[in-house]
Amino acid sequence: MLAAVRSATVFGVEGRPVTVEVHVSTGLPAFQIVGLPDEACRESRDRVRAAVLSSALVWPSCRVTVNLAPSNQRKGGSGLDLAIAIGFLAAHGQLPVAQIEGLGFVGELGLDGSLRHVTGVAPMVAAMGAVRPVVPVGNYREAWCVAGEGVRVANTLREVVDALNADAPWPQVPDGEFVDDEPPLPDLADVRGQQVARLGLEVAAAGGHHMLLVGPPGSGKTMLAQRIPGLLPLLEPDISLQATMVHSAAGVRLPAGGMVQRAPFRAPHHSSSMVALVGGGSTGLRPGEISLAHGGVLFLDELGEFAPSVLDGLRQPLEEGVIRLARARASAALPARFLLVAATNPCPCGGGGPGDCQCDEAARLRYVRRLSGPLLDRFDLRVGVTRPCVDDLLASGGGEPTAVVAARVTKARQRALDRIGMVNANIPASYLDALAPLHQEARASLRNQLERDRLTGRGYHRIRRVARTIADLMEGDELVLDEHVQMALNMRVRLSISSRERGA
Amino acid sequence: MSTANPSVGHVSGSSVPPEAYVASLAGFRNMNVHRLGALLRHQSPQEAWQVALGQRPASGPIGKVLADSEVRSMWRRCADERPPAEIWARCVSLGLTVLPYGHDLYPAGLLDDPFPPPVLFARGNLALLAGRRVGIVGTRNATAAGRETARALGFGLAAAGVHIVSGLARGIDGYAHRGALAAEGTGRPIGIVASGHDVIYPREHRDLWEAAGNCGLLLTEAPPGVPPEPHRFPLRNRIIAALSEVVVVVESRERGGSLITAAQAVERDVTVMAVPGAIGKRASLGTNSLLCDGAAPVTGVDDVLTALALQHRHSAVIAADLRARPRGDDIALYRVVQQDPRTIDGVALAMGLTLVDSAMGLARLESAGWLAEADGWFECVGSPLR
Repeated sequence: MLAAVRSATVFGVEGRPVTVEVHVSTGLPAFQIVGLPDEACRESRDRVRAAVLSSALVWPSCRVTVNLAPSNQRKGGSGLDLAIAIGFLAAHGQLPVAQIEGLGFVGELGLDGSLRHVTGVAPMVAAMGAVRPVVPVGNYREAWCVAGEGVRVANTLREVVDALNADAPWPQVPDGEFVDDEPPLPDLADVRGQQVARLGLEVAAAGGHHMLLVGPPGSGKTMLAQRIPGLLPLLEPDISLQATMVHSAAGVRLPAGGMVQRAPFRAPHHSSSMVALVGGGSTGLRPGEISLAHGGVLFLDELGEFAPSVLDGLRQPLEEGVIRLARARASAALPARFLLVAATNPCPCGGGGPGDCQCDEAARLRYVRRLSGPLLDRFDLRVGVTRPCVDDLLASGGGEPTAVVAARVTKARQRALDRIGMVNANIPASYLDALAPLHQEARASLRNQLERDRLTGRGYHRIRRVARTIADLMEGDELVLDEHVQMALNMRVRLSISSRERGA
Repeated sequence: MSTANPSVGHVSGSSVPPEAYVASLAGFRNMNVHRLGALLRHQSPQEAWQVALGQRPASGPIGKVLADSEVRSMWRRCADERPPAEIWARCVSLGLTVLPYGHDLYPAGLLDDPFPPPVLFARGNLALLAGRRVGIVGTRNATAAGRETARALGFGLAAAGVHIVSGLARGIDGYAHRGALAAEGTGRPIGIVASGHDVIYPREHRDLWEAAGNCGLLLTEAPPGVPPEPHRFPLRNRIIAALSEVVVVVESRERGGSLITAAQAVERDVTVMAVPGAIGKRASLGTNSLLCDGAAPVTGVDDVLTALALQHRHSAVIAADLRARPRGDDIALYRVVQQDPRTIDGVALAMGLTLVDSAMGLARLESAGWLAEADGWFECVGSPLR
């Protein structure tokens, strides 16, 4: 007897449809899985057999062969357990084969026959196409995000079998409004002083400009960075879906509402490996931190402490918004369009004002050289952060709250989107003259900077984009004024002693 | 300026002047001050050249040196690599004056030195050596405070008409000369380097190297093409000590090269002064130990001027300030930064201005040259606004 059940596995952030074919025949009792299963997949033999027996169903003494088609692709994970069990029951005649038409099964089985949630359900359901997915209860919202109302859930294998045999109705899907259980984001009102850095956050959020915060320890770099997600608008529907897929595939907890709607904030530690950051792994190509930050913020604290090779790995995705991972057997493109925010000390001792630094020049240079030039070049904003002064810390009133700033950011973003359909950070250089025309004085200021070798050609374009964003935030007209350019120049701190001499 | 001076030796049927032989000999491997001095002491440069190649009988210490067959063959190879005519052409194209010991223009301060350089290669204005000269030396790994001190001393002394003698190294040396150049006073940089004139080291000081050669003086014992070998630096330091009236050590570690300069200055009866630093600060260990040993402390430009017996109160040459005077609120803004270096945040807070207004004001002051920005901090530069 033969049965075929639809299911899926996940690779990268994409689901891949898998047809589970089960053949039950007479012969020496055996249970084999073929079709390139990985270790977790092969072990499903034991789980499935135990779950079937625990669910008061029959496991006969005959030869059971499972084929995972297409059989030339590697399959990983435990999500195929349920499909294998259902396929066996149908092939053995314990379930009517006709009943499994039009359904897709995803889920891991416990030895007691319970159904456990698995990672990557959203992309799997998307890959299965026009079928009604049957998923563990814990995966309901994810599946619902993709398949809508047709999703079936179950707590145990027995419940699935009963429903398919029409002995009992399908269990109720979890209902009711899903309250947003995410903790509130930190508010900008908590930040005292730091006028320039606050403006920097606002500009970064409004224009999508990558930002480097440079300042001594205790100056509040991390605190500032954590407040950027609150300034970003909710994700666009398509980005939200992509972000949900990535979170699902990586097994990161999704918000109770199912969809990732808030801009994600990821802050990997500086000991993170290249694979942890960009994604990879021998089976399945798990999405890395940069993909989890898709649509949101990737915050790298202590930028200089990251391995240089890891940082250089960020350059291509920064440019393209996609990370293309290739392995010997497979390749995948994972979305990775994020706002890069990084923080670093100005020197090993942490520095401070002029004359406070106790580092010698060689140590200082060595420290700054760790940040490769090409990466530093990608930060439109390099904002100096200083320790707040005592008056600021003791003052009673905080600064503007996040809500006020976020409203300005949203407006400025809209202006930019109306203008050319992208955030200002992505304006191609050739469009700058049309989209960010300079006032005469602003042009003179920039010319002066260029002539004094304090600005490179690339820096010049970056300053103009940032100035465009500042003008948008200040609701100026389409002309970029000198004051906008000056503010932009002030948010481009030059690092290192040598660059002070040579111009950066 | 690099014409042959026939006061030494004689030109015997050859088209190259006698200095060319000295310049070539000075670049030989295993040549040192003593050997070169001995070679040139009792014979003309051309004869010395022939002696070194074994074409003439050698006597005295040179005879002993040449008894070693390895040295003989090495010097013969060196002679092939560095033919006098070619070395001379390089000196001429670099615009160098070649000063063998005893030359009319040979620095008087080195004539009675215990180890006078047998030959010097100079570019620039040798007359500066007749002026008042202070050596400013220190560690290459300077702290920000040390760099600022070096710059301020260089600036103040040059403005008072004192020439700054230094080694053009990274760190203190470089900043002292940068300060001197920024002062645009009558004091000029005098750079003493360890490599040949065409081997710029460190490379990031190319601008200083050029500035010293063009508007000051650049002096070295090494002929063109000689790399900055480690053993040449202590030798270079003795020239700095000999050509300075006062040597100021700004920062030095416990075993810094600048302590060698200081020791050599003591040997030559040159006053040694040191800038005190916090105890325990590595960059000040050397200077503090100099102070313990009796060096005079430097707390400002005036201390050095006093040591030179210059009337410091009237000495500062007030050059016409070409910078556009700030107007209106910018003056108040300048005063705020004058009290303490500030960030734009700090300025906005102290002045009660918006960020944009502060940024505009600072930008005006900076482009006019009253302020400088580094790492987000604004500081006053140049002579203060009166």
